[in-house]
Amino acid sequence: MISIKNIHKKFGALHVLKGINAHIAEKEVVVIIGPSGSGKSTLLRCINYLEEPTEGEIVVDGIPLTSEANINKVREEVGMVFQRFNLFPHKSVLENVTLAPMTVRKMPKTEAEKVALDLLEKVGLGDKAYAYPEQLSGGQQQRVAIARALAMRPKVMLFDEPTSALDPEMVNEVLDVMKSLAHEGMTMAIVTHEMGFAREVGDRVIFMDEGRLVEEGTPEQIFNSAKEERTKAFLSKIL
Amino acid sequence: MNFDFDLVVRSFPLLLVGAGVTVQITAFSVSLGMLIGMFVGIARLSNTWIIKALAAVYVDFIRGTPLLVQIFLIYFALPILVGQRIDPFIAAITACSINSGAYVAEIFRGGIQSIDKGQMEAGRSLGMTWRQTMYHIILPQAFKRIIPPLGNEFIAMMKDSSLVSVIGFEELTRRGQLIIARTYGSFEIWLSVAFIYLIMTFTISRLVDYLERRYKIDDKH
Repeated sequence: MISIKNIHKKFGALHVLKGINAHIAEKEVVVIIGPSGSGKSTLLRCINYLEEPTEGEIVVDGIPLTSEANINKVREEVGMVFQRFNLFPHKSVLENVTLAPMTVRKMPKTEAEKVALDLLEKVGLGDKAYAYPEQLSGGQQQRVAIARALAMRPKVMLFDEPTSALDPEMVNEVLDVMKSLAHEGMTMAIVTHEMGFAREVGDRVIFMDEGRLVEEGTPEQIFNSAKEERTKAFLSKIL
Repeated sequence: MNFDFDLVVRSFPLLLVGAGVTVQITAFSVSLGMLIGMFVGIARLSNTWIIKALAAVYVDFIRGTPLLVQIFLIYFALPILVGQRIDPFIAAITACSINSGAYVAEIFRGGIQSIDKGQMEAGRSLGMTWRQTMYHIILPQAFKRIIPPLGNEFIAMMKDSSLVSVIGFEELTRRGQLIIARTYGSFEIWLSVAFIYLIMTFTISRLVDYLERRYKIDDKH
């Protein structure tokens, strides 16, 4: 579904990604872990070209990210959920979810609203359709953000530390929604510090450090029998 | 000194006609200026260097030269170039709009830059184009934030429009000059002119306050 070949990313003199090769298969849930500054968020943001790789090739669902038109096409197929939600504060919850299907997919309003209400129901916020983002808790906002991304019927969902900005008691409501998505067979790439979640939901775990992919494997392999010293050192600090 | 109140009363209708013209120039100029300013403000944030550079040159030139000189350029210098006299009304509105556009551009630029970067990223990540995101997400939020500075610009333009009196265009200030030329009532007339400007600018600032409050109440909707 996603193939990443020799991706480099430099911010000026800062070399954030140093030749990453990775592959995400259809219906696979890949969890990317690693210390801050290891480049995991940057890698995720390269997949939908919010960051333009300095070097390398990314192909999503057979579409190479080479032209502006291709990039927009890929973005229609790849949903993204941000650490800080990034809901549109001037629009109601319902409008947040219907905007992209109506402007990008040219979906009629009534249909878009029907889709949106179903999705809001699914994330447990059917009663908040007419509220505004600022009236919701962080966990609720993040669930709206997930519904908003799902409204485009994406083939892949990217999650960039979706629970890092949440109060602890709200983390689970968001993780539960993500779990049910995974069970439905959504292809997902998740950057997170929630190791319990990674272990439970991930099909594969990728450990990154200093811009390199250090090790990858099943959650079992990574968490219980990591081969690399750096992986072990990182896990010993957080587990 | 004798204050000739009768002169004020007799001149008032004529001054009000001038005030009407002042309101007209201001309304035209600020509206056109907003349109220019919106596009130039966005252009200043463009990724294409030539668009960005052109916008910067425009803003720097206008803000770095006096409005009075800009009016002279358009009314006296431009006709030499195009070989045709320009109507004072057209010249006045053109000069004021182009001038206002540069200041409004900076207001828009500031407003757009004040919107969190994540908003553009969220829009783009949903497959919306840069333009769609600008239109649906960024500008509506930016616009609410720039109402106060836009109001100030409106008031500044209203006062600065008195400069077009130098090309003989009969707005409020020029009307005052003409009446004084006939009646020598400098004191009474300039005081009346000042009073009328004050009433107009005061009205606008109250209106802007009202708009700002209204948007605060149903904030973000």
